[in-house]
Amino acid sequence: MSDAAETAIASTTALTQRFGPTVALDAIDVQLQPGVTGLVGANGAGKTTLINALLGLRAPTSGSAIVLGLDPRSQGPALRSRVGFAPERDVLPDEMRAVDFVRHLAQVRGLPRSEARTRASDSLWLVGLGEERTRTLGTMSTGQRQRVKLAQAIASDPQLVLLDEPTSGLDPTQRSEMLTLIGEISNEHSVNVVLSSHLLNEVESVCDHVVALDAGRLVACGPLSDLIGDDEGVTLELVDVAQPAGSVDAVERALRAAGVALERVGSTLRLGGLERDELCDRARDAVADAGARIRRLETRRRTLADLFETAA
Amino acid sequence: MSESTDSTPSGAAAADGAAQILDQRYRPYDGSRHGLAGAMRAVIVSSMRFTLGLGRPARHKFLPWLAVVVALVPAIVFVGIATVLDIDLISENILPEYHEYYGCIQAALFFFCGIVVPEILVADRRNGMLPLYLSTPLRLWSYLASKAAAVTVTLAVITMGPLLFLLVAYTVEGSGPAGIGDWLTVLVRILGSGIAIAATMTAASLAISSLTDRRAFAVIGVILLLLGSSLVTSSLVETAELDSRLYAFNLFEIGAALKDRIYGIGPPLQFPDGDGAPGRRLSELATWFVLSANAAWVLAGGAVVWWRYRRIEATQ
Repeated sequence: MSDAAETAIASTTALTQRFGPTVALDAIDVQLQPGVTGLVGANGAGKTTLINALLGLRAPTSGSAIVLGLDPRSQGPALRSRVGFAPERDVLPDEMRAVDFVRHLAQVRGLPRSEARTRASDSLWLVGLGEERTRTLGTMSTGQRQRVKLAQAIASDPQLVLLDEPTSGLDPTQRSEMLTLIGEISNEHSVNVVLSSHLLNEVESVCDHVVALDAGRLVACGPLSDLIGDDEGVTLELVDVAQPAGSVDAVERALRAAGVALERVGSTLRLGGLERDELCDRARDAVADAGARIRRLETRRRTLADLFETAA
Repeated sequence: MSESTDSTPSGAAAADGAAQILDQRYRPYDGSRHGLAGAMRAVIVSSMRFTLGLGRPARHKFLPWLAVVVALVPAIVFVGIATVLDIDLISENILPEYHEYYGCIQAALFFFCGIVVPEILVADRRNGMLPLYLSTPLRLWSYLASKAAAVTVTLAVITMGPLLFLLVAYTVEGSGPAGIGDWLTVLVRILGSGIAIAATMTAASLAISSLTDRRAFAVIGVILLLLGSSLVTSSLVETAELDSRLYAFNLFEIGAALKDRIYGIGPPLQFPDGDGAPGRRLSELATWFVLSANAAWVLAGGAVVWWRYRRIEATQ
């Protein structure tokens, strides 16, 4: 067994979920590592289906899953007492006070009443709703309700928290705050988090690991640092001016002669094939020799979007 | 210690900055967990509080407590009369016997089942609590069993509460059962009939409620079932003189018939007013038939709820 498999908090083997003719998950093999894992993909990619399978809420058509060492299908109740979950839907009982809501779900997850009451309050403080804990959910903003959903997911001190689109409906500021909060909860309280999102930059900003899905297929799975990075070359954008004439062509010729792999779109040159520093040096020399003007010179970074483009 | 309202942990820092005590409140928990039993208990208690409007705005308290009051007021009046007149009013047939009090709570029962109970299932589907519940140790069957238990126990407050009050009050007043044996017999009959009627009503109400996400539709459906089954079967049996076994479809009457059997009355029942007395045909039913009909209501109601929830996409 590999090291990754030994440390995995959850793993699936050829996990397949069909709904009639639709394949929601197509033989997915993933290993979720401790920390924050981003489950990323477009709407309908299979993120929620995978979360449901990990929770044991739906029997897979074929394949298997192990979460926290337990089989979700046969050991579902035991597993779910150790897992927190926040669904995507922003519909909570409007008349309940936030603290009552969180306490109730902590009790349902097995905590004694007095402990649930204390932890409900603590969780709401942690997510920044300490002063608002006695307000009814119906009077709260979307951002506050998302925080309440997060609080109920962590109140029972789970080993794993599954958050389905936790930033849904939030404005950019609230989204950033929520992601920061999720990162803090994982880092400072050692709670493993699986976060689903269709926004790639969200996942890049907070996650340690990524599981990328596209139409039920696994696009990528692994540490974020292995999947994205600064090693995609350099983009050089030149100003195409009349004097000296043909400066962009001259730069292109010089770079090709220097052994740089080059792709040109108008006056933009995408450079590759060498180390980043080497590319920058040769670009500088070529531009100086040709008397060209630089509009932009930047390191091209491989992003999660590139993973999906490659897969497509 | 200061407390912050944002995600910054609250805490206190030493003045010189050399040391810092942070109180993040949130702590690991390594104590006991109650598992499925605890989860069911939590849902039962929460659902009972919800049904009775506890912890909810005042408008949600009015209807359930009105039903309780409607069920209890006659009992309070009877006890008052018994206290004032100071004679054995039950033996003198001035006040109703225990099994006859069922007629006094039918309105409350109808009211409670028709208007209050539907909310208990519909609300969870409407406000998204169902997927949250199913992400806990609860499974679909344990969730539904908890809801059914909560409704049954709450309904039992109406079906048993006034009678238990009567039993205690009559006993204190001196008109209660003679001897501990009779007293215990009455107690068992009150509990048995109360739970039986509550279970039948619960199954029927929840079955209708499971068919829609709209509370209004559920209320109308339950009321139609209760009223319709009563009016149609009574007309068919009493007026058209069809087979008395049609009473099996009359929720109120078949429940009342079971209550009578538990109290040791009938068949055949003795009606002082002769063959034309209401309920005469009901008394023709065999005890096994009455028992089976009530059990069928419970099983059928449970089956409808189970069938319906198996079809609901509860994980979305």
